[in-house]
Amino acid sequence: MITLTNLSKIFRTELIETHALREVNLQVNEGEFAALTGPSGSGKSTLLNILGTLESFDSGDYLLDGKSVKGLSDAALSKLRNEKIGFIFQSFNLIKDFSIYDNIELPLRYRGLKASARKQRIEQALELVGLHARRDYLPGQLSGGQQQRVAIARAIAGQPRILLADEPTGNLDSLMARQVMELLEQINQQGCTILMVTHDPDQARRAGRNIQIIDGQLHDATMYDPLAAQSA
Amino acid sequence: MEQFIYYLKVSFKGIKRAPLPYALTIFILSVGLGVFFANATFYYQLNSDPLPHKSDKLFFPMALMAPYECNDCKPPSVLSYSNIEKLSQTDIASKAAAMYSADGYLRQSAEQAPLPVSIRITQRDFFSMFDVPILHGSIWPDNSARAEVILTKASAEKLFGRADVVGEKLLLDDRHVTVSAVLDSWQMLPRLYDANNRNHLGDADDIYLPLESGYDMNYLSNSQSQTFDDTDYRQLSTQGRSGAMHQLQYWVQLDTPAQQQAYRQFMHNLVQDEKAAGRHPSEPNNQLVAMRDIVHYFGGESSDIKAFALVTLLFLLVCLFNASHLSLNRYLSNQYEFSLRRALGASRAQLQLQMLADVLLMALFTILGALLTGYAGIKLMNQLLPSNRLFSSWDMPLLLSLLAIAFACSYLVTLYPSLRASFGSLNQQLKE
Repeated sequence: MITLTNLSKIFRTELIETHALREVNLQVNEGEFAALTGPSGSGKSTLLNILGTLESFDSGDYLLDGKSVKGLSDAALSKLRNEKIGFIFQSFNLIKDFSIYDNIELPLRYRGLKASARKQRIEQALELVGLHARRDYLPGQLSGGQQQRVAIARAIAGQPRILLADEPTGNLDSLMARQVMELLEQINQQGCTILMVTHDPDQARRAGRNIQIIDGQLHDATMYDPLAAQSA
Repeated sequence: MEQFIYYLKVSFKGIKRAPLPYALTIFILSVGLGVFFANATFYYQLNSDPLPHKSDKLFFPMALMAPYECNDCKPPSVLSYSNIEKLSQTDIASKAAAMYSADGYLRQSAEQAPLPVSIRITQRDFFSMFDVPILHGSIWPDNSARAEVILTKASAEKLFGRADVVGEKLLLDDRHVTVSAVLDSWQMLPRLYDANNRNHLGDADDIYLPLESGYDMNYLSNSQSQTFDDTDYRQLSTQGRSGAMHQLQYWVQLDTPAQQQAYRQFMHNLVQDEKAAGRHPSEPNNQLVAMRDIVHYFGGESSDIKAFALVTLLFLLVCLFNASHLSLNRYLSNQYEFSLRRALGASRAQLQLQMLADVLLMALFTILGALLTGYAGIKLMNQLLPSNRLFSSWDMPLLLSLLAIAFACSYLVTLYPSLRASFGSLNQQLKE
């Protein structure tokens, strides 16, 4: 589903060049739940942003469903983000003066769905995250965990094939974090591929695969083995 | 449509987030545009063509036929009766009318208080040449003297309390005259037929009298006259037609280029004949000025309005710059939301549609503010420059042009900031 070949990313300023990603090769198959782990500044978020086409790359190639995203127009990238990818950000990124319903509706609006179709998808997503009763609330009226569930609802309402989550529990307490993780697992079980950046080893263990990044290089792209982890 | 209503809703939310900067942007734009509107109104009206379908067919002929030597002189801008007679001795022109204006008093009977009136003393073709509408009665059948006047509708209503007064008797400076026709409401703006006297910004005259009757009644011009001898022209009826009293304006209608060329040749021949007869010693200098060029020829453009036009244009540019700056700040503070929308799948084209909704709202508020400011500006300019007060109205083409300018300014003020906000690193902006 996702294939990265020799992908590199360099951040340049007037004085220095920082190699955020070096010659990354990665294959992610449909339905996987992969955790991206590594120390701060290792390139996890950069990789996630490139996978989400929020950021460009300098060399190598990125194939999504067998098609390269390199050189795609702004309109094509927007369409790709809108139809295939869902985002979950650490800081939720909800629009504060939009209701929960309106926030979830955003990506569906840009897909050009009719009002009835939008409503049906939003209600399904709200049911899934358990916030149907709060559809008219503003984000500020919800707890952090609830806000992240709204962000998840927004991400899945478009029925994306890939969910990219950048430290989705980073701003939540352990109880809330566990609820969000359970929700992500539930979504993954329904067939959605998930790539999640996390610093939390427990959460990384809950993902089916752990991809470690150190200094912009992929160190271990193997499937995570829960039995081996238990024996250790 | 549903999506565009959504964009409008989002625009309103954007305004509610930061109402003060938005109000300030609207205020600055409204003031700049309002001041520009006020001046543009006068500029447009003063430079408008009241007869666009024939302003290139009506001509003001002038010939240097003065009885003294004058080289490099312009021909007099008024003509003598005898010169008019000579210029009329051809059938090249489709129509022709000589005219001048005078002051008089009008009343129904000797017992009534006299009403001061402005009289246009002219010939029958005046009315068809300048498209003057007739409400009641008919125009004089020829150019001979007759004790008949044509009233404007306003004069008829002022004197009789009604408009249909054809056949009614009046006293014009205590001479008996009959009303032969009443004009419908008519105001030629600017009155280009009077531009040689620089009276083109004034009101139309109150009554119309045949030229021959004007001379018979000894009416002297109230605007411009020249003479080259010592004759007492107060006795216009006996001296005016043959002497060198120059007070007449003369207009001819030349419909085709061939007619215009033929008339120029006719004027050339006439002046050569006059010179050969020893009636004027100067080098010939004939002018045939088209109506659309007449104000420029006589230097009648309002320099005040021109200067104001330049100042208001500069002021508008300053306002646009300031409004753009405010707008940029507003958009940059909303850049996070732009980026979020892009991350969630909005293309730049879709964001530009959002911007169009912003422009529409801004244009709506700006137009309202600008029209109010413009209206106030016009009232102020009417106080400062009362001679231009007739040129302070808005007609549909002007209003539509002003609305288009306001929309374009709103677009300009929004375009650059929104483009700035919709470009840049998505990832970086989402982190901020």
